Amino acid sequence: MNNLANIDLKSLAFLVYTTLKEHGIEAVLVGGACVSIYSENRYMSHDLDFITYEELKKVEKPLEKLGFRRIGRCFTHEKCSYLIDFVNPPIAVGHESIRSFETLTSSLGSLKLLTPTDCVKDRLAAFFHWGDPQSLEQACLIAKNQPIDLDDVTAWAKKEGYSEQMQQFLDNIK
Amino acid sequence: MLEYLFLNKNVEKVLMYLSIHSKAHASELSRAFGTALDPIQKTLKKLEAGGLLVSFLEGKTRVFCWNPRYPFLKEIQELAQKAYSFLPTQMQETYYQSTKRKRPRRTGKPL
Repeated sequence: MNNLANIDLKSLAFLVYTTLKEHGIEAVLVGGACVSIYSENRYMSHDLDFITYEELKKVEKPLEKLGFRRIGRCFTHEKCSYLIDFVNPPIAVGHESIRSFETLTSSLGSLKLLTPTDCVKDRLAAFFHWGDPQSLEQACLIAKNQPIDLDDVTAWAKKEGYSEQMQQFLDNIK
Repeated sequence: MLEYLFLNKNVEKVLMYLSIHSKAHASELSRAFGTALDPIQKTLKKLEAGGLLVSFLEGKTRVFCWNPRYPFLKEIQELAQKAYSFLPTQMQETYYQSTKRKRPRRTGKPL
């Protein structure tokens, strides 16, 4: 069994994705863990949110092999501080379905996750709907660290009905 | 009306209640419908796990509301509103409109 006591979030994400893939399960990393990866840990998440269209029952076995125990839609490990959560599908930001993803590869395997542009939209959605300043901050962190398609984000924000709040984001990343 | 679709009588009630009041906590729903608290709590948790609802703590009370980020929200709200509009007026008044005060009331003011 892998030593998960001191594993970092990115390595764990690779390990989980690669393990699931080996068992024929396709999943995508979403949420705050993507922000951690894209911001090179300037924001630290403690959850790994994955989305899979497979039944969670199928996910149990491979994750149990890694030492994780299922509690509802989440998986915990007694020696690992990170929580793995399987968010209910679909994969979407606001009313837009997401169909293309980023795939990272390393010596640890591979990892499919939201693109930096969709990750920014995901954080902005939380800022738009709940006025959450941390989410705006995270969106700015990604935009400053990664190439993103600002025109696409702007068009999406307009379609969602949040052009005014989008301007605040644009002002913050100037 | 839609019980057969959700395979659970409380889901329909919760959705119709939220279509009127926007937010609710478990004991409020349990009181409104005169049902046990536990199944209502389970229904709310199930809808939250599915992404349709989100919850916040208000003091010590967990309050549930629609998740504005849920991609099928508009369609489900429309379904709930339409189902509600088909309820007999007496049921609408008894279970959905009766007790909830929405306007403020100053702290300490006698009832």
